[in-house]
Amino acid sequence: MNDHDIAIAVKGLKVGYDHVVVLKDISFEVRRGEVFVILGGSGCGKSTLLKHLIGLFEPMAGEVWIEGVNLVAAEGEARRRLLRRFGVMYQSGALFGSLTVLENVRLPLDIFTDLPERARNLVALGKLKQVGLAAAAHQQPAELSGGMQKRAAIARAMALDPGILFLDEPSAGLDPVTSAGLDALINDLAENMGITFVIVTHELPSIYAVADRVIMLDQKTRTLIAEGRPEALRDHSPNPWVRQFFKREAEPSVTATPTTPT
Amino acid sequence: MKPPETTPESAAATAEVRLEAGGRAVVVLRGRLDSLTAMGPWRQVEQRLHGVAVTALEVDAGGIEYCDGSGMALLHCLQMGFLTPGATVTVRGLTPELQRSFDNFSAADYRASVPPPPLRNHIPTDLGRGARAMARDFVEQVRFIGAVAQGLVGTLFRPRLMRWDEVMRVFESAGANALPIVSLISLLVGLVIAFEAAQPLALFGAQIFIADMIGLVMVRELGPMMAAIILAGRSGSAFAAELGTMKVNEELNALQTMGLDPVRFLVVQRVVASVLLTPLLTVYAMFMGVLGGVLVMLGIGFPLVAIYNELVLRLTAGDVLIGTTKGVVFGLIVAAVGCLRGLQTQKGPSAVGASTTRAVVSSILLIIVTDAGFSILLYVLRQ
Repeated sequence: MNDHDIAIAVKGLKVGYDHVVVLKDISFEVRRGEVFVILGGSGCGKSTLLKHLIGLFEPMAGEVWIEGVNLVAAEGEARRRLLRRFGVMYQSGALFGSLTVLENVRLPLDIFTDLPERARNLVALGKLKQVGLAAAAHQQPAELSGGMQKRAAIARAMALDPGILFLDEPSAGLDPVTSAGLDALINDLAENMGITFVIVTHELPSIYAVADRVIMLDQKTRTLIAEGRPEALRDHSPNPWVRQFFKREAEPSVTATPTTPT
Repeated sequence: MKPPETTPESAAATAEVRLEAGGRAVVVLRGRLDSLTAMGPWRQVEQRLHGVAVTALEVDAGGIEYCDGSGMALLHCLQMGFLTPGATVTVRGLTPELQRSFDNFSAADYRASVPPPPLRNHIPTDLGRGARAMARDFVEQVRFIGAVAQGLVGTLFRPRLMRWDEVMRVFESAGANALPIVSLISLLVGLVIAFEAAQPLALFGAQIFIADMIGLVMVRELGPMMAAIILAGRSGSAFAAELGTMKVNEELNALQTMGLDPVRFLVVQRVVASVLLTPLLTVYAMFMGVLGGVLVMLGIGFPLVAIYNELVLRLTAGDVLIGTTKGVVFGLIVAAVGCLRGLQTQKGPSAVGASTTRAVVSSILLIIVTDAGFSILLYVLRQ
């Protein structure tokens, strides 16, 4: 595997807030075109790690290389150019409530391109059609269901055709049918558009449906404790907690004790 | 349409336009068409075809190396005749992969997504809607006043339910923390009024009456009003935002399902705290305003004892009582309106902001109207 195959390389990352270390010694690589999932229990720092990968926060130490450029060190125009090369879908969708769905998707094009308005509308409509939301183009985000909002957010993240998409909890709070539809969309975009996905989630059905490779974070050790294909980790991980996570088993301490009928 | 392994963002994209006989035109596109480079060919084509009557346009896309959504939009714009209205357009030479992507979006998709026409204003309908909304708002206000009164009476019988710690928290945030801003505004208002009055009064040698004027104005009118307006801006808005956010987060539903009345649990504390603190805040605002006037008079050269005597002669305990009574009523209005607007918060991202705005606007409006009512009432009582 040469450097061209690597979309993202994280080296010795240490992240946290103020002086509290949330994660340390985090190193991994994401290959071009793969669906890469970051998972772990609640509160282990998945979303924090994602926010450092997209440059929202500065890490305490370490490097994040995206498309061969170190995001941590990039400044000014170099950083702006790099930010254009990936899209982000936030957990809540983060659509702007004062704009229509079409205007939301068109916004990155309005800011970063000088295409005429009709062309920008066409791009935005094309993206909305791709996620199955062309009919909702002129609705307000508040009028959409949770699943539709997330799809609209994916369309906005794709507006500039980035090579990498970061998704934070795409299936959280969605019904199984909508969630499966979103998984199918991710697989479709990865296969047909060659987009690299980095997804933060702990929804097991989605992980099995989309993930090429996963890494698992641990709250106790604050490090990365597993890396590989989800099925392989479920069946063969040497770490019992990892197997327990994939098999969706409760911790022994919280398992209900059988009661004797009286 | 997989992105290439390297992304030379500034790679050139070109368009060659050939005009042929019989109104025929050929556009040959080459290079990398993406969000950064698609504009160049667009301008080239637009300039060459400007003012030319084209009946048939042929787009040769065989030279396109890479094409993203923006490049596709350029092709669709050409195909839909945006630059050549009425012409028949053919796009050829796309790679099978690009052709599939191109076919995914059609002119029919574009037409289907034309925005609905904006709703026309119909004055009688708008008037009717406005009147109905006002009537509904009035009914809600009356119902709310009843609920607050019921909550207050209920709390009198069961003081344990009062949550005095919450009252103290509001007392501190809305009262003690407001002292610096009340000090500054009241002092400056008193100072400015005295300063502005000093010049015309000097023409009549009546500058000593600045003390009378500032005393009456600050104690009977501006002291209570300024304290109330600051309370509305600082705390009425905060009440609306707090309760509005709680409503959006379904915390109010949670209270109701636990058998707790949101008015008794959240509103009564705020109302009681506001009613208790506004007389204090009002007296403080009166004092600071008068102090501002006194400073100006000292600057003019009047001795402090003369100013004091003039103030004591003019002001009565009744004036202070009227001022503080107004303060109590204004405090009640600010707290009740702030909480009501918070409880009325609708859904949507701008709902809490809208409630906050409505709380401040309604409070200030009601304060001014009530103040006018006080003036009329006091005039009638004096007759």
